[in-house]
Amino acid sequence: MVKQHNLHAQYRIVWLIVTVRLVVVSYSGSARKRCQNLAFFCHAKYEMHGSHYVPTPHATLIIMKLRTAILSPVCGILLARFLTLLVLVGSPWPTAAQASENDEFFESRVRPLLAKRCYECHRRRAEGGLRLDSLKRIKEGGQSGPAIVVGDADKSLLWQAVSGNHNDIEMPPDSPLKANEIKVLKQWISDGAYWPAPKPSARATPDFHGITDEERSFWSFQPIGDPVPPHVDGPWGQHPIDAFIATGHKQRGLTAAALVEPGNLVRRLSYDLTGLPPTPDEIVAFEHASSRDPEAAYTELVERLLASRHYGERWAQHWLDLVRYADTAGDASDFPIPEAHKYRNYVIDALNNDKPYDQFVREQLAGDLMPAESEAETWERMIATGYIAISRRIGVSPQSQRHITIEDTLNNVGKTFLGLSVGCARCHDHKFDPIPTADYYALYGIFESTVYPHPGDEKKPYRKDFVYRIGKKASDVKLGPYREQLDTWRKEERTAFERYRAFQTMPINIPGYNREVAWRELTEIRDGLRQVARTFPKLETAFAVGEGNVGDSHIQEQGDPKSRGPVVRRGFLQVLGGQTIADDSEQSGRFELANWIADENNPLTARVIANRLWHHHFGRGLVASTSDFGVRGDRPTHPQLLDFLARYLIDSGWSLKQLHRLIVSSRTYRQSSADLPASAASDPDNHFLWRVNRRRLDAEQLRDSMLVFSDQLDRSVGQAHAFPHRLTYFYRQHEPFIGDFQNHRRTIYLFRQRIRKNRFLDLFDGPDGNLHLGARYVTTTPLQSLYFMNSPFIEEQSRAIANRLLASNDTFDDRVGWAYRQLFGRDPSPAEISALENHLSHASRAATVSDGKDGTAEQLAWTGMIRAMLCSNEFLFVD
Amino acid sequence: MATTRRQMIRSLAGSGLLLPGLLSELMASESAAPDPLAPRPTHFAPKAKRVIFLFMTGGVSHIDTFDPKPVLDARHDTRRRERQYYKGSGWKYSRYGQSGIEVSDLFPKIGSMIDDICVIRSMTNINGDHFGATIGVHTGSATFNRPSIGSWVSYGLGTENANLPAFMVISPGLPYAGGQVWGSDFLPAVHQGTRVIPGPEPIANMLRRAPTAEFQRTELDMLSYFNQQHLRGRGNDSQLSARIKSFETAAGMQMAAPDVFDLRKESKSTLDSYGLDPDDTSGFAWQCLVARRMVERGVRFVELIDGDSSVDNNWDAHAELTKYDKLAKNVDGAIAALIQDLKQRGMFDDTLLVFTTEFGRSPYVQNPGTNGRGHHARVFSTWLAGAGIRGGMVYGSSDELGDRVAENEVSVHDLQATILHLLGMDHERLTYRHAGRDFRLTDVHGHVVPNILS
Repeated sequence: MVKQHNLHAQYRIVWLIVTVRLVVVSYSGSARKRCQNLAFFCHAKYEMHGSHYVPTPHATLIIMKLRTAILSPVCGILLARFLTLLVLVGSPWPTAAQASENDEFFESRVRPLLAKRCYECHRRRAEGGLRLDSLKRIKEGGQSGPAIVVGDADKSLLWQAVSGNHNDIEMPPDSPLKANEIKVLKQWISDGAYWPAPKPSARATPDFHGITDEERSFWSFQPIGDPVPPHVDGPWGQHPIDAFIATGHKQRGLTAAALVEPGNLVRRLSYDLTGLPPTPDEIVAFEHASSRDPEAAYTELVERLLASRHYGERWAQHWLDLVRYADTAGDASDFPIPEAHKYRNYVIDALNNDKPYDQFVREQLAGDLMPAESEAETWERMIATGYIAISRRIGVSPQSQRHITIEDTLNNVGKTFLGLSVGCARCHDHKFDPIPTADYYALYGIFESTVYPHPGDEKKPYRKDFVYRIGKKASDVKLGPYREQLDTWRKEERTAFERYRAFQTMPINIPGYNREVAWRELTEIRDGLRQVARTFPKLETAFAVGEGNVGDSHIQEQGDPKSRGPVVRRGFLQVLGGQTIADDSEQSGRFELANWIADENNPLTARVIANRLWHHHFGRGLVASTSDFGVRGDRPTHPQLLDFLARYLIDSGWSLKQLHRLIVSSRTYRQSSADLPASAASDPDNHFLWRVNRRRLDAEQLRDSMLVFSDQLDRSVGQAHAFPHRLTYFYRQHEPFIGDFQNHRRTIYLFRQRIRKNRFLDLFDGPDGNLHLGARYVTTTPLQSLYFMNSPFIEEQSRAIANRLLASNDTFDDRVGWAYRQLFGRDPSPAEISALENHLSHASRAATVSDGKDGTAEQLAWTGMIRAMLCSNEFLFVD
Repeated sequence: MATTRRQMIRSLAGSGLLLPGLLSELMASESAAPDPLAPRPTHFAPKAKRVIFLFMTGGVSHIDTFDPKPVLDARHDTRRRERQYYKGSGWKYSRYGQSGIEVSDLFPKIGSMIDDICVIRSMTNINGDHFGATIGVHTGSATFNRPSIGSWVSYGLGTENANLPAFMVISPGLPYAGGQVWGSDFLPAVHQGTRVIPGPEPIANMLRRAPTAEFQRTELDMLSYFNQQHLRGRGNDSQLSARIKSFETAAGMQMAAPDVFDLRKESKSTLDSYGLDPDDTSGFAWQCLVARRMVERGVRFVELIDGDSSVDNNWDAHAELTKYDKLAKNVDGAIAALIQDLKQRGMFDDTLLVFTTEFGRSPYVQNPGTNGRGHHARVFSTWLAGAGIRGGMVYGSSDELGDRVAENEVSVHDLQATILHLLGMDHERLTYRHAGRDFRLTDVHGHVVPNILS
């Protein structure tokens, strides 16, 4: 063992170096400023984006290289010293310098050994009744008796079993320990089986004694690093993302694809950023500009698309997929929520205005509790909490199943913001991730202290706790007289309803009075009530949350709300810090929760959203399981790049648009989708991005594109659907709300109902409003093909597009050219024109046999060609 | 070359020279793309190849149909306690078959088949509301959305005929919980139930929209041309070839589907046995005969839903038990005819029939004389017949009042586990990884009921 003073000397040098580095870094203030300072120092290029000065990707790379250059001698020394230290101590991470020898020996030798070789069976699984994760349990032992006799290894079952000195038991069963490992255990037992006191945990339960170091050491819980892009020569060394990606290529011997040609690039980027196809003019203009200055042309294109309102409409849908957005509540009667669209539009606006992501997160969780600078901002933040309000209501009487609605909230908060499945911990400690049940109820208390608006249900059809823009008091004053009037009607309505329902519970024999008569009476009263409802002043309302009866919640044993366990102080997940609400707080804790989640030191938040952006740009995340960063999720293919992106996002003031710029400006993104057999052979699923994935248009892109081609797209912002008056809902499970609101706006504005699926979205793998959807499936089914071949919508669109084609072009060549440029984004070749001439003459002949009621043979033939084009892979796939 | 071959196959199929099922097989051999509906091996040898799932919406009273309660009848209209009176059944029970199992007069024709049927009188559900209980029977969960049993079967077994979906739901109306009942939830959408609605176009978009068949052929030729052009330099992409194939399958489906619904092809004696006019799509008999035509063509899981969420049109009867005569008449003869029909065609031995509902109905009423019953999930009746099922037996029982399970409880999870077992699948091994967890139909519950297996 190393002498203590020697060790201290080593430490002193290390700390000196670290301090020097910290001083250098902190000199320039925040991380972002630091980059700027360094970049100005070397005259790197900066660009103005909105109100932020941010480095161009190229400048960022220079900064990174600079930092490497400045710090490398220092780093070199640091690394050398550190390595020396490692050799001397023999531990990957020395604990505090003052740590006792015992502690050191245990943490460096014993605990890792137990964890690596024993815990698979002898921790939570407790095979043979034995757990080896606390001294108490080890002493208690399992079915074969105590595992150790302190101070006497020879008599200890544990040592006997691992050293081959026991007649019956040999452990571990598959491969024996090495001689030096056996020696470690022997020494540990002989020296008194030292076990450090467990770290204090506010949320210990009988089955849970704190999160282990092993669990804490999982990759996604580590602080986000600040990796420097590796050095790469040539064109792949110009951009930080490319440097990481190219290094991956090199390691695996992959050859990357060439750059995609401009025509395909503009199509790819338009669909990606706005969800809409580029117009033929836009394609030509970009091709033209690219031939002069490809970089400038591309930058201009990126900026134009990011500035388009359609950008928000595209990317908000990705967010709405996560938060299972819908316009109805999801209970058995599926009560409508006319205000839900305000939250949807809030998301669109937030993205268009490039609201910093940390603020976007805070507003959705606690917008009502955040200070605001204006009334408009107060209201906007109130609407943002619609995120919590749209949690699913379930069953006939959702109010009596509040714990299920809160579970839906917690599930969603966990997956959406943190990439963790928190909901698993409702009934038991999470089986895989370090989330004990106590943590679930620490979060649960926060939402149980929150008032969710009541959209109405079968048992209590009247809406409650919606938020008025003018505030509760003012609205009470203003609506008081109307409410009095309405309440009289409501009482009568309930009485009449009970009279009607009485037929279900007793025989009623009154001459001339039967169920139908009772129903008629009820209907008349409801009509009267509707009249009164219409007189109500139209006050602006939001489906938003507020503070309720604030307090901590009990653990619900096995998830049963009736079986109450100990109370847990409201707070955050222990593995992410385990903060709790201050003792003197009088609030629910949402405000604190929002800050814990949006904290730049939270290791998950920035990684998760950066990975989501990557996923949508490339079709696959660096972590493929975009909503599961836990033990069962996928590991990142490029951990350094992921951290680089997350750090970049934070350093750019959480600007999502800035991260888009970084990603789409990379060569990685601008590769073609060409097939390279050698690369395909070693990385068939393209995990290392040696090309860009060819992708199918999703449901929204598909429908929106057709409406663009037919010139029927209504580009206005979607507002409330034409719901019945909000005070007149009497839906029951037997007569559920069924909405049927059509429009030709962008698909994001289509009506979303929870218990009735939207057939189109359903068919093309769209969201259904009930389930968090981190990544969409891409299924190919014959029912989809039947939809293309035979659905009225495709028929109607094909005809409208064909009519447009005929109206705007006279010659055959022009018509084919127009169709190709619109639908495929390119010009047809002469060979294609002549082939189609042939096909169309067949079609015209075939059309003359029809009765003519669908249009002239010419119209029919062109309609047929358009439909075939809409069916084709060239339209549906983006290279 | 490939085009020629496809054209040849298509023209053969068009002229009726090829069997529908064969078409997709011939087409499939041309594509290397993995097909999520390709037939998959079972865990062990199956007894059943397919399922017809008869779901009665609203909650069928066990007391008035398959579970006679003489003690309850004797106490009819007497007081049990405050606001609770016994309610006996208004229908007589008769013994049927060699087994002598009692069935009420509501179902005389099903009764006549009782020696082929195993009645479970000890079913329980996990929820007492229509919504929760309906999805409970179908998905194993009463609260959150989960994939329906038909979706699990489609996922587990694939299809034998690519020209038809593996999971079809003949549902004229929307049941409680709507489309969730046949949703695939986190399973790929290809496994969701395809809804069939009686009428001119029972499967959405199954009828040609192009003005003539000849015209549609020119359209498909153009499509083929566009796709071949596009495929140049992109030949190795399986998603492209899968989609090309899906249009061929769709064309096959467009051809095969109308045939499924064309009951004029049935013999007069068959139609008579179902009591069906071939153009009348309104009753349960139509659903049953179409179901037989579907399973004949390789559909794995056919669900027939009787009724919708409106009280006038389902088995929910808080005060309207009189409607049971009409409701039972609609399904009784049709189901009996279906059993007969399957037997005659030699399909009864490898087709599993399940007759169930979301819950039973209470033996008590609040006021004497009320001709109805409340929801009752803690015991009700279900029956199974066909593949792997011991006919002519009763399994489990309720107490003398039909209030609680007396012995051998069968939960919805047990029923689901047993159905999967008969199909050759271990309900604990049929899992799908979602949100970091391996989900299964039976969640953490479910035991196969061995005693009812032949």
